[in-house]
Amino acid sequence: MKDTTETDRAMSTQNDVKISAKGVQVYYDKNQAIKDVDVEIEGRTVTAFIGPSGCGKSTFLRCLNRMNDTISICRVEGDILIDGEDIYDPRVDPVQLRAKVGMVFQKPNPFPKSIYDNVAYGPKIHGLAKSKADLDDIVEKALRRGAIWDEVKDRLHAPGTGLSGGQQQRLCIARAVATEPEVLLMDEPCSALDPIATAQVEELIDELRSDYTVVIVTHSMQQAARVSQKTAFFHLGNLVEYGDTDKIFTNPEDPRTESYISGRIG
Amino acid sequence: MSDTPHTSLYVRSANVAKRNRAGNTLRYLGLGAISLVLLFLAVLLWSILSRGVPAFYQYQAQIELFYDAETLDPDGTLDPEEIGSRSLRSGYERGIFADSLRATLEGNGINTEEFKDKDLSNLIYAANRRDVRDSVVENLDLLDQTVPFNVPIASPVTRYLSGELAGVDRSSMPPGIDRAQLDLIDQMVEAGLIEQKFRWNFFSNVYSQSGEIAGIGPALMGSAYMMLVVLVFSLIFGVAASIYLEEFAPKNRLTDFIEINIANLAAVPSIVFGILGAAILITLKNLGFGDSIRGTALMGGIVLSLMTLPTIVIATRAALKAVPPSIRDAALGVGASKIQTVFHHTLPLAAPGILTGTIIGIAQALGETAPLLLIGLSVSTGAELLSSPLTGGLLEQTQSMPTAVYLFSQNQDTPVREGLAQSAIIVMLVLLFALNLFAIILRRRFERRW
Repeated sequence: MKDTTETDRAMSTQNDVKISAKGVQVYYDKNQAIKDVDVEIEGRTVTAFIGPSGCGKSTFLRCLNRMNDTISICRVEGDILIDGEDIYDPRVDPVQLRAKVGMVFQKPNPFPKSIYDNVAYGPKIHGLAKSKADLDDIVEKALRRGAIWDEVKDRLHAPGTGLSGGQQQRLCIARAVATEPEVLLMDEPCSALDPIATAQVEELIDELRSDYTVVIVTHSMQQAARVSQKTAFFHLGNLVEYGDTDKIFTNPEDPRTESYISGRIG
Repeated sequence: MSDTPHTSLYVRSANVAKRNRAGNTLRYLGLGAISLVLLFLAVLLWSILSRGVPAFYQYQAQIELFYDAETLDPDGTLDPEEIGSRSLRSGYERGIFADSLRATLEGNGINTEEFKDKDLSNLIYAANRRDVRDSVVENLDLLDQTVPFNVPIASPVTRYLSGELAGVDRSSMPPGIDRAQLDLIDQMVEAGLIEQKFRWNFFSNVYSQSGEIAGIGPALMGSAYMMLVVLVFSLIFGVAASIYLEEFAPKNRLTDFIEINIANLAAVPSIVFGILGAAILITLKNLGFGDSIRGTALMGGIVLSLMTLPTIVIATRAALKAVPPSIRDAALGVGASKIQTVFHHTLPLAAPGILTGTIIGIAQALGETAPLLLIGLSVSTGAELLSSPLTGGLLEQTQSMPTAVYLFSQNQDTPVREGLAQSAIIVMLVLLFALNLFAIILRRRFERRW
């Protein structure tokens, strides 16, 4: 395991920059939640955002697919480019952006519909399927990608809310990948799961890296160390340190990072 | 280990005993309150049912009705129009009923020599032109035929039959009825000529001052049409307003102001809406539209919609608010637009709550009386509506269930005031219970889906 991640990391350094943020400021009304964050996130890499509660890592994550638009008091300044395009440009429709940048939430939130409908919903509204058979294929592919196909293939029309927590979260991942996004944002995807389900989801995240750019917010430093190649440490709205996961966890440059990962703050 | 003295768990401390007493007092108060409520409910139901249920039954005399051609068509025209128009002259039906009753009684061996025609016709409800003239107009073959016929017993006699007049002396008899007539009634009962029958026509007849033939047909239809109008108007506008306020409107002073005013609107007394409706009617009249929509189901429905709207808005907003935000996040996260999120996910999940609120609002509207009286839902008998139930449904003058109850309760005639009013109330309550049951069933069904 260690060896493969080493080589992966060596490869990952050659990846192109997928998301580039420059001078990002986020305000909730008058409170500044994110202060001047610059970060370049590489494609086909798992990037972890760590930091104590309230440090702004989830807020920053939600800027990347403009989910913050739904909060009326939230204001975003600075540039966030995906593939060189400013996602806050007035020409950009957030609906189109979110098809390209999928999201998995902290609490598993399947629609109260069947497993099939959960996955098929995104492709349906984006017009990705031309026929019923097409849609069936997309659903199967997405469920396989979500590593849950074998568990649900016999009950695709059972309600998604009837699955266990871990299965629900993998269903949500399948739902997110069904729209064929390029970036996958995960906001503490394992915080509501038990250790076994967490392990399954982590394994899945590692597999997803081959096709997607994954950005994951996590409270667990062990998880960040296990699944990510790059780590960003946020503290009080600042991006304190960003670099290879190995380096952040073994030889951090900033004393605040060191305090956090050694358990003295946070 | 500690300085506190050892206390046994077997001894109840003063503090605990006091708390237990307080708890018990509260419990008995609660039980007392519930018993009181049940008692009131029982008294209410008993008073309604004990008078209303018997009023569904009517004493009827079986007579051999002779359609006398000499009275109905003296000129022998055999022209329905002629027959239909000439009878307006006087209440000659009374004569026909009196003759037929006399013949029937004689045929059963009851001597009627001492009674004048008027004495006989006073015993039964003998003024129903529809039964005699209109039947002949429809079917000329009836002329000079004798047909078995059930005629309602006159309402004072009904009081005698149900035992109310027992022991009443001559001077305080209802007008037009004396002992000899009541003896005749006794003979008729013995001969089996008087029967108690369920009055099905109560549900189809139009309103009338005379309790013997009064019905709630137009009132039922008027109420049904009004509920339809309320459903369409208040559901569409209410749900649209709620979706906008809950899902799209920015949270600012203006929307706060609107929100407070909707809540206030829900508390506005219903008569105020009636005044508003009356003002609209007067304006329309001044503009030259006449009384075209006064007292119609359309007008009533619109006024009741205004009244129901706030209830539905409040219920719908509560239902929308109760949908977990994570569902909205999930939909937005896969790239659904705001409107898709609402219509594909939020609204279906809020549907049970919306439906319940709507049905409660409609049930409220069904029982509302004051505004309807002000906009003329009590001025017509509703006969026009009955003659063209489908086309005239919304635009003919009509009555509603609560205004019919009101009219019955204002009647001069005691059996109507105390009997039919309660019967109409029973019908209305049954409708209300049915609506509530429907709401519960719908909610269960929607909730059980997942």
